[in-house]
Amino acid sequence: MIDIKLIEECRGGNFNNFRKLVELTSPFAYSVAFRMLSDEDQAKDVVQETMVTIWQKLKKIKTAEVYKTWIYRIVVNKCYDEMRKRKRNPEFGADEKTWGVISNRISEEPSAALENKETSKIISLLTEKLSPKQKAVFILSDLEEMSNDEISEITGLSKSAVKSNLHYARKNISEKVEKFL
Amino acid sequence: MKPENEKYSKVLNILRNSRPLLDSTQDIEREVINKIARAQQNKLSFSEAVDFLFGWVYIGWVRRSLITASVCLIFVFVFQQGIILKRIDMLSRQTIVTDKENLLTPATEIERLLTEYRNTGRRFPSKTTTITEREMQELLEYVNELKIKYKELENIIEGDPELKKLIEKKLIDNNRIKTNL
Repeated sequence: MIDIKLIEECRGGNFNNFRKLVELTSPFAYSVAFRMLSDEDQAKDVVQETMVTIWQKLKKIKTAEVYKTWIYRIVVNKCYDEMRKRKRNPEFGADEKTWGVISNRISEEPSAALENKETSKIISLLTEKLSPKQKAVFILSDLEEMSNDEISEITGLSKSAVKSNLHYARKNISEKVEKFL
Repeated sequence: MKPENEKYSKVLNILRNSRPLLDSTQDIEREVINKIARAQQNKLSFSEAVDFLFGWVYIGWVRRSLITASVCLIFVFVFQQGIILKRIDMLSRQTIVTDKENLLTPATEIERLLTEYRNTGRRFPSKTTTITEREMQELLEYVNELKIKYKELENIIEGDPELKKLIEKKLIDNNRIKTNL
């Protein structure tokens, strides 16, 4: 993902290298933040805040190897904060248009990438009934393709809690998919 | 694979392939650098002070309770300090009688005022009388001189019983009240 040497240099206080680190890290952080929040502007804010936190606390991490899990942990925690700040959105039922987009994609070109707006709508629709923890576990496991160990480290949940949250999230989403597609 | 699982997998594949794209990392980089610069300028901001003091508490409501309790304690401390200072000020205004003669009840109003003035070492108590500090000192000197002379006169009269009797008789004749020389 990112060169360990670069992280070590940043740990030494090299600001120019930190710019490079921002450039390399932002897309990964943005991916998780956007999928968690389904909002481009909020996701960008979270990425910015994450990078500032990284600069302030980079010296505190024990080794550069833990950088990946550490950055994801910061992003997920900041997303939790954002989700807490949001007022609870009124539940929206199956959106015909969004389900139509998913249905078309499945039948036509399953490998084609969606636009950010479409992605945010679909994720919001699929995860609307999930708690922030379940949503985080689902996104990290099934979309970011991380292992349960990594998710456990990032979220601070035990492995069994990760598994049970993931099970519930998958069950809930597949029921929706079954119902509306 | 069950048909619903197949649909679920297809939806997941679509979402996996649609990794949210960050349009420009440069904007984020610029914002991050601005934020870091601002943060370094205001290193001792309120939130940092709070983080510094209560950063070790991870549970949100415990942290908020601690902050509230601390603010209350600070208010109580300031309030008590105010009361203590007020009492000290009040005590310093009070007269401490060390001179034996001050224990005697002043006979006249001027004596009472002078005694009060001497004891307190402060302004002449009457608000309507305005005299300078120098005039007050002169007055006090005259009063002291008078007292000394009066004492001397008393001693002379006490030393001569005949003179005492004569003066007492004269005072009675003239209807003077003060006869016990």
